[in-house]
Amino acid sequence: MLGYKAPVEDLRFVLTKLLADQDLNSLPGYSEFSPDLVEAILDEAGKLCATVLFPLNRSGDEEGCRYENGVVRTPKGFKQAYDEFAQGGWTGLTADPEFGGQDAPNTVANAVQEMICSSNLSFGMYPGLTMGAYHAIHAHGTEEQKRNFLPKLVDGSWSGTMCLTEPHCGTDLGLIRTRAVKNGDGSYNITGTKIFISAGDHDLTDNIVHLVLARMTDAPEGIKGISMFLVPKFLPNDAGEAGPRNGVMCSGIEHKMGIKASATCVLNFDEATGYLVGQPNKGMRAMFTMMNAARLAVGIQGLGIAESAYQGASSFARERLQGRALKGPKYPDQAADPILVHPDVRHMLLTMRAYTEGARALVAWVSAKLDVSKRHPDQQTASDADDFVSLLTPVVKAMLTDLGTDVANLGVQVLGGHGYIRENGMEQYVRDARICQIYEGTNGVQALDLIGRKLPAHMGRYLKQFFHPVSRYIEEHADDEALAPFIQPLSKAFGRLQRATGVVAQRGLKDPNQAAAVASDYLRLFGLVAFAYLWARMAEISLPHIEGENKRFYRAKVDTAQFFMDRLLPQSGALFSSIMAGGDSTMDFDDEAF
Amino acid sequence: MAIKKVAVLGAGVMGSGIAAHVSNAGIPVTLLDIVPEGADDRNTVAAGAVARMLKTEPAAFMHRRNASLVSVGNLEDDLDKLADADWIIEAVVERLDIKRDLYKKVDAVRKSGAVVSSNTSTIPMARLTDGMAESFRRDFLITHFFNPPRYMRLLELVTGPETDAKAAQTIRDFCDRMLGKGVVDCKDTPGFIGNRIGIYWLQVAVAEAMALGVSVEEADAVVGRPMGIPRTGVFGLLDLVGIDLMPHILKSLDETLSPKDAFREYAGTPPLIEKMIAEGYTGRKGKGGFYRLKRDGGKRIKEALDLKSGEYREAQKVTPASVEASKEGGLRALVTHDDNTGRYAWRVLAKTLQYAASLVPEIADDIVAVDDAMKLGYNWKHGPFELIDRLGAAWFADRLKADGMDVPALIQVAGDGSFYRVADGRIEFLTVEGKYRALERPPGVLMLSDIKLGSEPVAKNGSASLWDIGDGAVCLEFHSKMNALDPDVMAMIKETVDIVPGRYKALVIHNEASNFSVGANIGLALYAANMAAWGEIENMVQLGQEAYRALKHAPFPVVGAPSGMALGGGCEVLLHCDAVEAHAETYMGLVEVGVGLIPGWGGCKEMLARADADPKRRGGPMPPVIKAFETISMATVAKSAFEAKDHLYLRPDDGVVMNRDRVLAAAKERALSLAEDYTPPEVGELSLPGPTAEAAMKMAVDGFRKLGKATPHDEVVAGALAGVLSGGDTDFTESLSEDAILELERSAFMSLIRHPGTIARMEHMLETGKPLRN
Repeated sequence: MLGYKAPVEDLRFVLTKLLADQDLNSLPGYSEFSPDLVEAILDEAGKLCATVLFPLNRSGDEEGCRYENGVVRTPKGFKQAYDEFAQGGWTGLTADPEFGGQDAPNTVANAVQEMICSSNLSFGMYPGLTMGAYHAIHAHGTEEQKRNFLPKLVDGSWSGTMCLTEPHCGTDLGLIRTRAVKNGDGSYNITGTKIFISAGDHDLTDNIVHLVLARMTDAPEGIKGISMFLVPKFLPNDAGEAGPRNGVMCSGIEHKMGIKASATCVLNFDEATGYLVGQPNKGMRAMFTMMNAARLAVGIQGLGIAESAYQGASSFARERLQGRALKGPKYPDQAADPILVHPDVRHMLLTMRAYTEGARALVAWVSAKLDVSKRHPDQQTASDADDFVSLLTPVVKAMLTDLGTDVANLGVQVLGGHGYIRENGMEQYVRDARICQIYEGTNGVQALDLIGRKLPAHMGRYLKQFFHPVSRYIEEHADDEALAPFIQPLSKAFGRLQRATGVVAQRGLKDPNQAAAVASDYLRLFGLVAFAYLWARMAEISLPHIEGENKRFYRAKVDTAQFFMDRLLPQSGALFSSIMAGGDSTMDFDDEAF
Repeated sequence: MAIKKVAVLGAGVMGSGIAAHVSNAGIPVTLLDIVPEGADDRNTVAAGAVARMLKTEPAAFMHRRNASLVSVGNLEDDLDKLADADWIIEAVVERLDIKRDLYKKVDAVRKSGAVVSSNTSTIPMARLTDGMAESFRRDFLITHFFNPPRYMRLLELVTGPETDAKAAQTIRDFCDRMLGKGVVDCKDTPGFIGNRIGIYWLQVAVAEAMALGVSVEEADAVVGRPMGIPRTGVFGLLDLVGIDLMPHILKSLDETLSPKDAFREYAGTPPLIEKMIAEGYTGRKGKGGFYRLKRDGGKRIKEALDLKSGEYREAQKVTPASVEASKEGGLRALVTHDDNTGRYAWRVLAKTLQYAASLVPEIADDIVAVDDAMKLGYNWKHGPFELIDRLGAAWFADRLKADGMDVPALIQVAGDGSFYRVADGRIEFLTVEGKYRALERPPGVLMLSDIKLGSEPVAKNGSASLWDIGDGAVCLEFHSKMNALDPDVMAMIKETVDIVPGRYKALVIHNEASNFSVGANIGLALYAANMAAWGEIENMVQLGQEAYRALKHAPFPVVGAPSGMALGGGCEVLLHCDAVEAHAETYMGLVEVGVGLIPGWGGCKEMLARADADPKRRGGPMPPVIKAFETISMATVAKSAFEAKDHLYLRPDDGVVMNRDRVLAAAKERALSLAEDYTPPEVGELSLPGPTAEAAMKMAVDGFRKLGKATPHDEVVAGALAGVLSGGDTDFTESLSEDAILELERSAFMSLIRHPGTIARMEHMLETGKPLRN
């Protein structure tokens, strides 16, 4: 019953207008990605997502993955869709041309990623995990490993996984027990059990390349004794194709709340042949180099779900006739008014919209900085951009996935009883979105990362990359009357964020619990201010166009910005009060009384 | 008898350093050494030593001009110059025959009653004076300085049975007041106190590290901070003092100590160290020591010696679990930690403390002398008996017993008690008879720590306190982390200005931390700058300006009493005092440009006023501005209180106190004397030259930049400074109020702290401790 149409117009606005100052085109290697080409990519991706991936979303959820005779079967249609996806070159969108990739900017690829997540979150897991494995091998693998594995991962004929979690350890990876014993030929024998391995086994590709964290013989205790190994499901033969079966078996899949078409596997490694990737005992470091990208990707999942939920809810609200507007019929020629005349429904829809478009703008901003950090020839500019990405990554991951769930829930609410019915598709978004708040570092861990690592790093150096542009923007537009409805609330919320940042840092120095206890509130406040800044800028960009061509789009932008400032940003006041109240009532509570 | 002239015989490292330090007290000194064979200049040894001292850092002279108080000569031609010396210090090579021979010659020329002392560290007094005339023995004693003599505060003083008590008192007093030493009376036993315990400690620490297989990094981490010992620990310290020194001292101790002394167990030199010395690995002065820096291309890699293999390897950053445990659980947690480093900590501490406790009263009359010697001579934060108190004397005794070690009698005397206690607000120590006796301070010594034990603060917040120091005077103490100046300090200053009138007569600003204050909390400022909290930063600048201005114009006198570093805002607060009584080892400086800023708490204003009022200044409107500009733009730091006067950080009539324990009393006395008929300074006005001067200063900086002597951001900072010091948009016919100059400071400060170049400097300084040249 729901539909999906890629938000190409809004993406175009964000990429070409909001990011106009980023000049991505001029970064080395990105000169080909002109606005026209980007537009073509977005159109193509949008079509593929709407016509191939989206139709499989409901059926994939109903059917789920099946574990049969030691192997995993994906739902009907997935294999065919995957082949089409791979043949279109989408599996190697950002990959190195040397290995067959297209070398697209992250800014563009993340826009495509949003569409994939909107249309079929489960499907997106498979190529998403492959990209993670690709980046790890590309950054840390030997030349031989790159030559043997990267082309297959890039063209999609093989896929990848990241094997971290074990039955007794998730967040605390220092406890890993999987062992690696060195063989005479330089390879290792890997033995142990990994759980919650997304795409750990499936029937979409000829081979699966597992990246496994394990402990070598005599490795130091804890996190400093973890190494990374490449363990293919089938060992490559002389021709470079999938050869003999390796000692890694899927012993079952999890039965989950959502993303049912994504195979979440238990993998048993029984003296499986593995190859060391990177330095011995430096596995965590290798893993961390792609943490930013992986966490951004999960944040984008939240955005993707929010967009779908909004599209579904807004079209339902336009069509569903029920009751009359409070001040008299608005559509008297119809049997009843559509429900979008009702203030509460409008409030829900605008909330969904303001969050979704704000999230899209934030993803684009961070993605553009990611590209600058990787490509900019000036070292300082690149390193500043890297600081920015480091700072905002936990905000994107936690805030956007929280909002993904919130927006999906509002979607159910707008649909009323129909939202609660499986066939209508809206409740799936709630279930699918829920995992995003948990995996790749729970949102609580993201908040701790922000407050405990990112804030204090180099005496607040990362902060500069966010606080300075926002502060400058407020100062520069302080006297702009037309923008006052946006700048004033932004300025107020920014002041709250500044004070909270100072207070949290000072309290945290004395007692880390005081900072940690308010970390999630702080992250949300941070995110809201980032949204407010982006909404103010989007309003500023749109205001000159509200009477011109395409005026409905620009007017909607300005009006959504106003709604955000009026109705959503005031949360910053409550969050500020909560942060200032501190952690005593949280930490003093008697453990026994829980 | 007053000491008005001094002679030092022997111009080696110790002799020349002692001579320089005597000159620091303003006392003329004759420095003699041998005539080398075939020398053209017969004074070459002594003259060379003085020349060398003028070049080396840290400087032996507190001011270059002091070198002119040192007259050099030689031991063959110039012995007659000893005739008018009141005190003759022998610091020649440690050979009995040479010393005795010299004493005979000295005795022949010295005036009656002139005191003769030896700087020996190894030869017992009885042997030195054996065979000398009774009159000589009456005037003879041992004064053992530590290296370097200017900076090390310990002076061990040993008298013989025949030494005249008055002569000893004269020297004791001179060393205390004029040379600023902590004089510790020792008995005539080998190594006296410092080296007897200190060398034993080093030997134990080295031997046990080798025995237990503890690495040099681990050993230094354990024996460093957790025990209150400088970060160099043991191996780092040996590298610093020279590894080749050890066998030398060991040999002399070996010759003189009783055969039963516990030292003998550790008296040998390990083969590894013998090999190192033989091959020239004598420490920092040699090819390397237990650590060395290896150059690899442009990088410098710190390496450490593997004690087993004797090979160098890359130095490891270690955080032993025992050290981590001690952060929460203190010294006991360190020595009871169940791993190799914990066992190492226990063995080193147990042996050292046991040995120290067994030596009283053999080497000193009381435990205070032992603790003082180790604190002043080896820079331990706590003396051996203070360390035992931290462990608990009874607990320590039980642990010794459990390990089958003897419990020294003195520890048994302490029983369940402690070596120190506070009774009626006073510190008492345990005597060898088992009684507690109050710790007496000499006249003229006032310790804030004593006052704090015996009273409650008049006012207090997280960063500063106000103490009643008697006779109507109060003392403002900073105690924030590193004594950084933060909003709480400023609030306390303002509170003080409200509290004092009516209740007290005068204020002293003083604290007993190693540094008076290194200025504003740059970390806080950087954090605020990074989050663009410009309003808060400007408030902080204004708060400081208001606090210092209130201090200056308060209706009571304010006397600063600094010791150690007084930098940035720490210097500015002193500039606002009516007078300063500074410890000679005070290092003042307006160093803000190092982090890309300018003095913003009235420092520019006060330096302009001082340069303007300087009687030696040249005429015209420019010279005072140029003088202030040079001082501030070069981030000039005075390396002593005497140098601070050259830079106008101190006024000509500000006092300099050689002994830091006497600084507070001197400041209090000064403050109370100022309190009679006190009128606060009026709010001043200055006439400044305006834009032409600004342009001239900027042009000069531009020139420096073209010569490569100034960086681009130097130019930005100096330009902002020039704008403030020239008075902004003014000219010499107008007069500017103090407040107008403060406003200029504030706005220049704000423009700089928003500059990325300044933020980069602050970050670099905090991360590396070094200024960034951007």
